Amino acid sequence: MTGVKHLRILLLVAIASPLLAFWSSWQDPADWAKDVERACTSPRYGLRLAAARKVATGGAAAVPAIREFMQKNGPNAVPAALVEAIADQTTLEAVVLELLIEWAQNPDFYWRAQAMRGIAQRAPKLPGFAPELRAIFARYHDDPAWLMRTHARFGSMVLDGAAAAPGAPETDPRAVVKLATLLLAQGRVPPLQPLFEALADERTFLGDPWGQRNAQQAHQALKNWLGEAHPLPEGGSFADKETAIQQLLAAASAKSGQALRIPAPAVDPQGPFAGGIEILSCKHGDLFVRWTEDGVVHAGLDAAASVRLPADVWARLSQQRAQQSLDGSLGVVVCDAMRLSWVQPKVHVKVAPSSLPAATANWLLDLAQALDIAGQPRLAAALSTGLKQFAAP
Amino acid sequence: MLRVPVLLGLLSCLAGDPTPISFSVLAGFTYTEGMTLPKEVTAVDEKVVTIRGFMQREVPGSGPVNQFLLVNEACGCNGTPKLNEIVFCTLPDGVTMDILPGVVTATGKFYVGEEKEDGVVIMLYQMDADTVK
Repeated sequence: MTGVKHLRILLLVAIASPLLAFWSSWQDPADWAKDVERACTSPRYGLRLAAARKVATGGAAAVPAIREFMQKNGPNAVPAALVEAIADQTTLEAVVLELLIEWAQNPDFYWRAQAMRGIAQRAPKLPGFAPELRAIFARYHDDPAWLMRTHARFGSMVLDGAAAAPGAPETDPRAVVKLATLLLAQGRVPPLQPLFEALADERTFLGDPWGQRNAQQAHQALKNWLGEAHPLPEGGSFADKETAIQQLLAAASAKSGQALRIPAPAVDPQGPFAGGIEILSCKHGDLFVRWTEDGVVHAGLDAAASVRLPADVWARLSQQRAQQSLDGSLGVVVCDAMRLSWVQPKVHVKVAPSSLPAATANWLLDLAQALDIAGQPRLAAALSTGLKQFAAP
Repeated sequence: MLRVPVLLGLLSCLAGDPTPISFSVLAGFTYTEGMTLPKEVTAVDEKVVTIRGFMQREVPGSGPVNQFLLVNEACGCNGTPKLNEIVFCTLPDGVTMDILPGVVTATGKFYVGEEKEDGVVIMLYQMDADTVK
C-alpha cells in the first residue's frame, strides 16, 4: 500500500521539482561516486563531513551514487552525517524524498530518525501530499526510539499546525526538550516551560550528565530564538545558574507572552547506585536500568519507576553478576551499544551488537525474569527484547 | 610560614593548573567556516585544559588508539557532532590506549583554530592529551 502511495508522491513531486536545481548541481556521475565514497569512508571525520555536505547539495544528481554505495556495502555503511546533511537540505526532488522515505521506513537502518526529520522539514512545503506524509508520520508517533518518534511527531505538528504533540504522553525527558527545540527552530513557539525545566536539570545516569546536556540544548534553542532579546551580551557570562535562569525566563516571558515559572532543580534519585545497564539503540529504543546495593532497581533515564527485589533473589543475582568476566570494549560499535557498569567487582564495558557473552546475556535474562515476578513486566520485556541484538550468536 | 597544603596549592598554581573547560562553551555557538570564534573559546588556545566527554574513534574499529575524538554524547543518535562539538585528541608519541566507556576526563594542551586539509576545515579544537581517565 505504502509503495503505491510513494509512487504517487514521487510522480507528483517530480513534476513539481524545479529542473534548475538538478542542472546547477551537475557533475560527472563518477565524481559523485567518489564524493559518496569520501563521505562514507574517509578516515578523517572533517573530510567525511565536508563530502557529506557536498553530496547532499548535489540532491537528485548524487542519489544514484548513494544507492550504488548502499548496494555494495549495505545501508548501514552510510554514516549519520550524510543522512543528516540530506535531511538539512530543503529541495523537494523526488528521488531525494524517495530515499528519505525508504531510509525512515527501514527498521534496520541506524539513521532512520535523521531521515524522518528530513521528511518532516519538507512536509509543510508539500501540501498536496499531506495525507501520504501524515500517514507516514502517524505510523511512528509511538516508535520505541525516542528520536524517531520525536521527529515523526514534529512532522505531524508542522504539517497540521497542531499545538499538542500526537501520540502517547512523552516520558523521555530528552524527547520533550528535542521537540520543543525543533518547533522553536521552525519558528513555532511551543510551551516553553519544558525548556526551563531542562535548564535546571542536573540528573545523571551512570556518570553521564545527560541533564546538563539537555540544559545545553535548551539554552542553545532559547538563545537562537531570543536573538537580540537574549539577556547576555556576546561573550559574557551569567553570575550563576540561578541568575541565568531568572534572566532568561524574564526575556522569554516577555517575548512569548507565556506565564513561565522558575523550575525546581532536578536531581538524581536516592542512591548511591551500585551498577546499571544502558542500551542506546537507534533501531529499537534506549533502556536505562540501575540498582542500589540493597536491590532497589530503578528504570528509565529519570528513574521514574523503581522496584525492590526480594533479598534472596537479589543476593543470588548479585552473586551471579560477580562471576561475569567482562573487560574493555566488546565488538565494534557503529551506533547501537550496550554499557554495563558496576562497582563490585569493578566492571565498565561497552558492548556492540552480537558481542555480549552468553553467560552475561543469561544473567540479564535472569534479572528480567526477577523484575517480571516482582511486578515490572514491561521493564522485564524491554530488557529481554533490548538485549537480543547484543547477545553473541 | 606557609603550611604544607597551602604551599602545595601555590606550587601547583605556579606550574599552571589545567583550566577546566566544557562543551557548553566550546559548542555554545553556531559555527560557520571562516568565522571569528568567540572570545571565551579563543581564550583557551594553547592553554593546558581539562575537559569531560566521551571517547570515540574517528573510524569504527577495535583495539587501542593513539588518536580519538572527544565528544559530548555517547551516541550519535541525537545528531552528528559538528566541528565545534569535537575535540581531536592525540596521545603522546608511541602511547596508545583503549577507548574507554562512559565519561572520561582528558587533560592536555589545547589548540583552537581551523585546521584545513584538501581545502576544507577538518578540525577546530585539538588537544595533545597527556592524561585520559
